[in-house]
Amino acid sequence: MDVLTGWWDDFFWGSVVVAQVFLASLVLMVIFGLIGAAAKLSGNRIAHKIANGYTIVFRGTPEILVILLLYFGSAIALTAIAQVFSPEIKFLDVPPFWAGTIAIALIVGSYATETFRGAFLGVKPGSIEAAQALGMNGFQVFFYVRVPEMWRLALPAFGNHMLSLIKDTALISIIGLNETLFVAKQAIATTGAPFIMYIMVGVIYLGFSTVITLTVMTLEYYGTRHMRSAA
Amino acid sequence: MSFDVSLIFSALPKMLMGIGLTFQLLVLSGVLGLALAIVLMLMRVSGKWYLDWLAQAYIYVFRGTPILVQIFIVYYGFPQLEFIREGILWPIFRDPFGCAIVALTLNTGAYVSEILRGGVLGVDHGILEAGEALGLNRRQRFTYLTTPIAARLALPAYGNDVISLLKSTALASTITLADMTGIARSIVAQTYAPYEIFISLAIVYMIITFFIQKLMARIERWLGRYTVRTGQT
Repeated sequence: MDVLTGWWDDFFWGSVVVAQVFLASLVLMVIFGLIGAAAKLSGNRIAHKIANGYTIVFRGTPEILVILLLYFGSAIALTAIAQVFSPEIKFLDVPPFWAGTIAIALIVGSYATETFRGAFLGVKPGSIEAAQALGMNGFQVFFYVRVPEMWRLALPAFGNHMLSLIKDTALISIIGLNETLFVAKQAIATTGAPFIMYIMVGVIYLGFSTVITLTVMTLEYYGTRHMRSAA
Repeated sequence: MSFDVSLIFSALPKMLMGIGLTFQLLVLSGVLGLALAIVLMLMRVSGKWYLDWLAQAYIYVFRGTPILVQIFIVYYGFPQLEFIREGILWPIFRDPFGCAIVALTLNTGAYVSEILRGGVLGVDHGILEAGEALGLNRRQRFTYLTTPIAARLALPAYGNDVISLLKSTALASTITLADMTGIARSIVAQTYAPYEIFISLAIVYMIITFFIQKLMARIERWLGRYTVRTGQT
C-alpha cells in the first residue's frame, strides 16, 4: 500500500470527475430516453422509424467505437469549421469530458428508451380511466397518474442503466479524460505498480456501484410504500 | 472535411481481417463464461450458505466494476505478481489474447449466472410438484424439468448478454490486440478519417448483432416448439 502514498488526492479528484460525468450523462440519458420513448409511443410513423433507428444503432455498436467516433469526428468537424474563419488554427476539439458524456448518454439512452416505453405501456388503463372519470385533464392524468405509476415500473431496469453509465465512464479515459483510470496510468508510469493501482480503480468503481445500488433499493422501498400494510 | 467513399472500400477488407479474432474472443469467452455461469448459478441455488455467499461476492465484484478495469488488472496487473509469473498459467497471462479471454470470461460469467438463476427461479412450482409426485428425485427434477424450462426462460436475456459480450470484445483493442476495432484504430491513426472508418466498422458490428439476434430467435423457437398450438384436428 506504500506505493499509493502521494496518489490519494489524485484518485480523489479522478473520482470527482467520474461523479461529474455520471451526473451530467444521467440527465442527458433521461432526456434521450424520454424523447425516444415519446417518439416510439407517438403513433407518428416517421418519429417511430427514427427512434427505432436510434435504438438499433446504439445498441449494436461497441461503446468504445461510439466514444472514439464522437470525439475524433467532432474534432475534425470543429477544426474544419474553425479554419473557415481563421486558417491558422490547426486543431480544435470538443473537450473529452463532453464528447464522452454525450457518447455514453446516447448509448445508455437507447436502452432507457425501451425501459421508459415499456413502463408507460405498463400503466394500467383502469387508472387512467378512473382519472378521466374524476374529470382530470390530459396534463393532470400525465403528472398525477401516468408518471407516478411508470417510474416504479421503470426503476429496476433504470437502476441497471445507471450502473452501465458509471461503468462506461471508465471508457472515457481512452480519449484522455483525467478520471480514475487515467490517474492510475500516470501513477503506474512513475511507480511501476500496475496491480495495486488498477485494483484501487476497481475499488473506487465498486464504491460508486454500491452507492447506486443502495439508492435504487431505497427508492424502490419508497416507491412501494402504498403496497405494504400499515401494521 | 470530406467523406471519402473510396477510403471505406480500401479500409474495409483490412478491418475484416480482424473479424476472425473478434469471433474467437466472442466464442471462446462465451463458452467458457457460460460454463462459469452454470457453476456460479448452481452455487447460488445450492442452498448451502457458504457457496451462495461466495458466488454472490464474486458476482457483486465483477458486475460492480468496469470491464476495462478488469482487462487492465489481468493484463497489466497480474504479471507484477510473483506467483502468477512462476505459475503454470503464465503462458496464458503472458499473452494479450489469453488475458482478454480470461477477463471477458470472468466478466460475462457473473452476468450470465444471474440470468440463468432468473430462469431457474421462474420455473413454475406446480411442474416441480408434479415431478415429485411422479417419484422423481431432486437431481432428476433439476435435469429433466428445471433445466429445459429455465433454458427457454433465460434465453432472451442471454441473447442480450451475448451482444454485450460482442461489444466488449472491442475493448481487447486497448491491450494491443488487432481485432476489428484495433485495426480500425490504427487505420484512423494513419489516415485521420474517423467518420469513414468508424461508421463502416459500426455497420459491421450491427450486422453481426443482427445475426446473433436471428440465431437466438431461432433457438428460442426450437426450445419452445412444444408451446406452439397447432390447432385442432
